[in-house]
Amino acid sequence: MRVLWLSAITCNGNTHSFLNYPHMEQFLDDFEFIYHPVIDSSYMLEDIVSKVIPCDILLIEGAISKEFQRADVSVVEIIEKYSKIVQKIVTVGTCATFGGIFRESGYENTSGLHFDQDKPTANFEDLIDKTISISGCPVHPEVLVNTLYAIKKSTALQLDNFLRPKEFFAYTVHNGCTRNEYFEYKIDNHQFGELEGCMFYDHGCQAPFTHGSCNKILWNEVNSKTRAGLSCLGCTEPTFPKQNLFATKKNMAIPENLPIGVGKRTYLTLAGITKAFKIDRLEKKLFDD
Amino acid sequence: MIKLIEKIEGEAKLHFNFKENKIDFVDIEFMSTRNIENILKGKPAFDALVINPRVCGICGHAHLIATVKALEDCYDNLELSNKAKIIRELTLNFELIQNHFKWFYLTMLPLLGHKQQVLKATYPSQLMGKVIALFGGQYPHTSYAVVGGVVCEITEMDIIKLQHYIAQTTKFVEDNLLKFDSQSFLICKDVETALEYEGDLPDILKQIKNEGLLEHGKSYDRFIAFGENSYFKKGKSLKTKVNYNISVACVRESQEPSSFAKNVSFKDQYYEVGPLARAMINKSPLVMDAHKKYGDSIFSRILARVYEISQLLEHSSYLINDLDLKEPSYIEPSVNISQLSASGYSAVEAARGTLIHKVEIQMGVIKNYEIITPTQWNLSGGTKEKQGVSQKAMIGLSDIKTAQLVFKSFDVCSVCTTH
Repeated sequence: MRVLWLSAITCNGNTHSFLNYPHMEQFLDDFEFIYHPVIDSSYMLEDIVSKVIPCDILLIEGAISKEFQRADVSVVEIIEKYSKIVQKIVTVGTCATFGGIFRESGYENTSGLHFDQDKPTANFEDLIDKTISISGCPVHPEVLVNTLYAIKKSTALQLDNFLRPKEFFAYTVHNGCTRNEYFEYKIDNHQFGELEGCMFYDHGCQAPFTHGSCNKILWNEVNSKTRAGLSCLGCTEPTFPKQNLFATKKNMAIPENLPIGVGKRTYLTLAGITKAFKIDRLEKKLFDD
Repeated sequence: MIKLIEKIEGEAKLHFNFKENKIDFVDIEFMSTRNIENILKGKPAFDALVINPRVCGICGHAHLIATVKALEDCYDNLELSNKAKIIRELTLNFELIQNHFKWFYLTMLPLLGHKQQVLKATYPSQLMGKVIALFGGQYPHTSYAVVGGVVCEITEMDIIKLQHYIAQTTKFVEDNLLKFDSQSFLICKDVETALEYEGDLPDILKQIKNEGLLEHGKSYDRFIAFGENSYFKKGKSLKTKVNYNISVACVRESQEPSSFAKNVSFKDQYYEVGPLARAMINKSPLVMDAHKKYGDSIFSRILARVYEISQLLEHSSYLINDLDLKEPSYIEPSVNISQLSASGYSAVEAARGTLIHKVEIQMGVIKNYEIITPTQWNLSGGTKEKQGVSQKAMIGLSDIKTAQLVFKSFDVCSVCTTH
């Protein structure tokens, strides 16, 4: 399958995250880039923008604004041209999906392809049936590549309201976090730099209300931010980046954002019960007696 | 004649002026910016730890380390454990190494007429990504370094894994880049001896020699580095004369009319930054020997960058021995950031050279943020009378293909330049 990787307003983080895909040899046998920002391709960017090169999948990385050009052509024009001939469009990363960090870069009407944060945009409405969103800042390489294989196999992917494959985005980042017990029993004395504790109560962790597979399909095959002790920053969501990312916003000591589907009253009831537990094993250091 | 230079983490336009079939002047134009410095204004200071890695996909970790250091510089008497300092230095080393592999196999090989070696780039750079993820949770774009230390706690088992990744990467170097043991490479003082070996690096260097490219890419022979750590020294070098007494206060950034990139100078002069600069300031014998014979040419530039892979792998394995796992990873600052109005700066050595961050905060909110990236140093666009480092390096060449090789020998990063 022939793939065009188009960069709009981006840091190239998705490009380099993709290079971490572990089975690259197989991937490059199965897919051909007509253009990629780093990998050599049969065409130059100038060819891509001035002609229409046959292609099956359009990958868009970066936030989109008519004002932003690549090789002197507006990225919107390039998208319009190729969207007509490709089978599928994939928005790679949170900028291309929702606008992300570079939504604020100062170009006119900057947004994702179909969403300006969580609001649908009118610009590319006719392409919605062709699009799959793979949000994340950056994109997870396995999530991206496996979606491309699903397209290749013509698999009908179930998508959520933001066009994200449920296979990866029906989970929350909280799923599979090694700190889950501290969350469950509300051990809320977390400090940075420790193996123990849950960052949800004080340090802004957004994992219980962020969609993604970070703790199911590990990063670089070895770890995740929350396992390492860093709060989930909500980077797959339309709201990324929120402000004050290392602190949990609370109203009357209750976190403003609760786990998806959990109501305030139930949360309070549950919190009351879990507080009744005094689990020595979790109050202590994991390794020290 | 205008040439669009692609695949430099974005693009740049080079406007070539020829005189008697030789390049007489090159104007460098970057066509866009993302206004990161503006995005940061008005945001809570710690959010910069999340936003700034997104300056760049290939060297974002350097931006994280620069950010945390600039923020820490705003505090008086902030405590930082030696363990946290070492972990930060290690992860930054690993980012430099992954960058250098990518540059050599993805950028340099095709410019010298070889097939791009994607797998030779991705295999070792993935190993380096894994080690960063071991500490930081993921690579790219972790924010694991926070004011007061690092968020991770590490165990003896992590150290074992870390050593394996370093050993495996060293093995890749010895099986591919060098085809000889890296210890001999590291103690080698004579570049001609190094060329007697086989391997992807000696082969490329021999090719440069055989094809008569040794004179290409020479510039001012003037180097600078500000990012001190346990390996790199701060200083400037002018034709091998090194001065270690330099101050960031003499660094100036100025707007360019024709491009979105800003110029950077030290005491009104342009300097080269990057691995060659670091090696000259560190007086690294093998690179000094190449420089003595072939000057600040593409030969020395390529050697210095790839040599740094072996240097940093070795130095990182020494650094691990200095880790005291009993020390805390993080020490909570005694002052809450929301009570802090101050300014700070930092300088770190990123893959492509000195990266400077300056921040001004008012009651914990960013009032002003300035970022000076390595490529800005190397690609500052001067006038014909006062040319930038890479501009000068392209003068006198007779074709655009060679000019592109020289230009990319600086390992240009467009996204950083136009942050």
